Amino acid sequence: MKKLLALALAAAMSLSLCACGGGNSSGGSTSGNAGGSAPQQGSATAPEGESDGFKVGAIYINSQNDTAGYTFQHHNGITTAMKNLGLDPATDLLIVDNVKEDYTAVSNAVDTLANQGANIIFGISFGYIDAMNDKAEDYPDIAFSHATGYMSNDTNFNNYFGRIYQARYLAGIAAGMKSLEIGNNAIGYVAAYNLEYAETCSGINGFALGAQSVNPDAVIYVNKIDTWGDENLERQAAQALIDTYHCGVISQHCDSAQPQLVAAENSAFGCGYNSDMTEQAPAAHLTSAIWHWNVYYETAIHAAMGCTDQNGKVDGSHFVDAMGGNAYYAGLAEGFVDASPLNESIAAPNTQAVMDAVRELIVSGSWDVFSGVKLSYNIGEDGSVEVVQTEAPLMSNGYELKDGEVVEMANPEIVPAGGPSVDDGVIKGSMNYNVAGVVTG
Amino acid sequence: MNAPLFRVVKREGGGPLRLAVSYVAAVVLALLVGTVLLTLLGVPALTYYKGMFTLGIPGSRYPFKQVEGFLRLFVPLLLTSLALSLAFRMRFWNIGGEGQFTMGAIAGAAVALKLGDVFPQPLVLLLMSLAGLAAGGLYGALAAWLKVKFQTNETLMTLMLNYIALYLLRFLGETKGTWNFFLSSQSERPKFEKFPAGGQMLELSLGDFHLNLTLVAAAFICAALFVYLRYTKHGYEIAVVGDSPNTARYAGMGVGRIILRTVFLSAALIGLAGAFYVSSAGTLSTAVTNDVGWTGIVVAWLANLNTLGIVVASLLITVLQFGSQVAGTSYASIDANFADLLQGVILFAVLAADFFTRFRLVGRGRQEGLK
Repeated sequence: MKKLLALALAAAMSLSLCACGGGNSSGGSTSGNAGGSAPQQGSATAPEGESDGFKVGAIYINSQNDTAGYTFQHHNGITTAMKNLGLDPATDLLIVDNVKEDYTAVSNAVDTLANQGANIIFGISFGYIDAMNDKAEDYPDIAFSHATGYMSNDTNFNNYFGRIYQARYLAGIAAGMKSLEIGNNAIGYVAAYNLEYAETCSGINGFALGAQSVNPDAVIYVNKIDTWGDENLERQAAQALIDTYHCGVISQHCDSAQPQLVAAENSAFGCGYNSDMTEQAPAAHLTSAIWHWNVYYETAIHAAMGCTDQNGKVDGSHFVDAMGGNAYYAGLAEGFVDASPLNESIAAPNTQAVMDAVRELIVSGSWDVFSGVKLSYNIGEDGSVEVVQTEAPLMSNGYELKDGEVVEMANPEIVPAGGPSVDDGVIKGSMNYNVAGVVTG
Repeated sequence: MNAPLFRVVKREGGGPLRLAVSYVAAVVLALLVGTVLLTLLGVPALTYYKGMFTLGIPGSRYPFKQVEGFLRLFVPLLLTSLALSLAFRMRFWNIGGEGQFTMGAIAGAAVALKLGDVFPQPLVLLLMSLAGLAAGGLYGALAAWLKVKFQTNETLMTLMLNYIALYLLRFLGETKGTWNFFLSSQSERPKFEKFPAGGQMLELSLGDFHLNLTLVAAAFICAALFVYLRYTKHGYEIAVVGDSPNTARYAGMGVGRIILRTVFLSAALIGLAGAFYVSSAGTLSTAVTNDVGWTGIVVAWLANLNTLGIVVASLLITVLQFGSQVAGTSYASIDANFADLLQGVILFAVLAADFFTRFRLVGRGRQEGLK
């Protein structure tokens, strides 16, 4: 026994010597071969590392090797955008993944990316906000871009998000048409959160308004589960909506396709989120509100690549100028959000035509969801669609969230008849009420 | 009688040199396993390891920032591991480091947010440290008191208390309300408030390098603990209680009192680490512990509860953690999961080497090997 261990140790020792020797002697040649992919190589190569070309840095909340979910969507968007711009994700993309929403963790991730020569750094999770805001000051020549946040500066730090409520309005049309067809005005909505976040709240409202534009009697029953990413709760919430309110259509603002699967099991219908869920639930799924993150990433990386100082060196301090502002908030018009292809085999007749007409209207910029003008539709015998615009106030259901408590609103009228759309700042940041016709259970 | 297939026998001799050699051999073996994995993933292993062990510092753009980032992870781990070893020496299995760290962080944050712009910075930092000490210490002492009074199992108690602290922190981080001063009033979406300037840790500027004062404090605490354990009556009492509570009792020691005192000290230092961490960051977060309550246990055992060994072990573990993040950035196939895997292989190999240096296996047919 002793001999055996001694032998093993001796072997390990000699191996270690080989390894060390190899490390010292061949280190130079290895770095020469792989210099492009390893900018942290020895001191002599550092300046070359900087001139290597444009580098994109990304800080992910989960892993880039995920096969679905939030990080997956963003990683896909970034790599697609880079390829379109002639950058190679294998060599020009630097990633720190599984970074928790902790100030120190995010600061360290930014430092690491900056150290390795990133020219633009994307942070995809809301909780990265303070660290990115502070680090943007530390590195004025690097562009910083933060998803879902609200902080920014005038030179090198912006935030980005999309008008997903526009896509949800389109999905709402599909749901409303279906509810009319099956004669069931109850529509369910599984939500991670509702009034707590403007993002979830505006999504519910956009969807409800879309459904009501085709079926004025539609009632949206919201079941919120107070967490992200819990498949079991998402499933149970959907089943509860069907059992309690007999909902015929189930929409969702949560991560998995479980609500769509539940709809299929109960011979109901549904609208998904984030990806086209027709694949998972072909007999139930109508359409999903989806993101095209690559649209933003291409715009941002292109803008950052074009930011150079007089010596032609990339300088992120003009990033905000190049982006034309420090808060990117695009929607259907830019192709940043959309409704996924309609599942024609189960959708109600003429759904596609109505969705197309409204999409065109929103893209033209002449109308938006949260305004004092309501839409309705005249559908001809031949399937032609005429969009009718009627001035009508945008009403809440009478309640709002104030300091953690749901209280009655003093004035439930959000926008007077004919009035302009609710401010972007409210839609993105502070919307805390549901529109009329939304019931929270 | 059936003899067992093999039995574990303690080795004679085996000095520190032998231990050191087997540790190095274990690390090398683990790295060889890593090399195979890296090669399979198409990643040049030498380049990866070089980045990992140098933390990407040599010749980089902002080397000092990397060192500062490294120290931000190192100090909490060092303090927590040292503190845990105090309790472990007494065979009090404090696995509540996560909870004690969290309580210290919350208490420190409360002081910073309430008093940060009332008092001068040094006073605020002192009060934050005291709050962290008290909160962590009392939280740990609760489990110790239950053990002394009712003979409850401290492993279970400290473990459960972790989750209470964790969910308290989450509750504070997600619940808006006029009472909740931990959250930013500017942000519509729940987000922890940043501390006023008074609540942010002092830094000494040495050229481009900013030396966080918590490192100095940690070094001081480390030296003090070394003296405390080796040269004071308290240190002796801890050793005796750890060896045999009955002996201690027979010698007239107040075992309950010693347990309470030592666990309070252990937990208080972990709470202090929590307060240090939030004052260095300048804000709370729901991921504030960075798992040091767990990693600290590994560090303490790797170092065999030796104070100087803990310094070395926590340095090495932080190099592994920080270095693997740095080295993995350029390779899409290398994510944090791979880094965790590699760390696991290395730690497992080292612990196995540790075991086989201290003990040996004797087969059934080798009874003569027994004394």
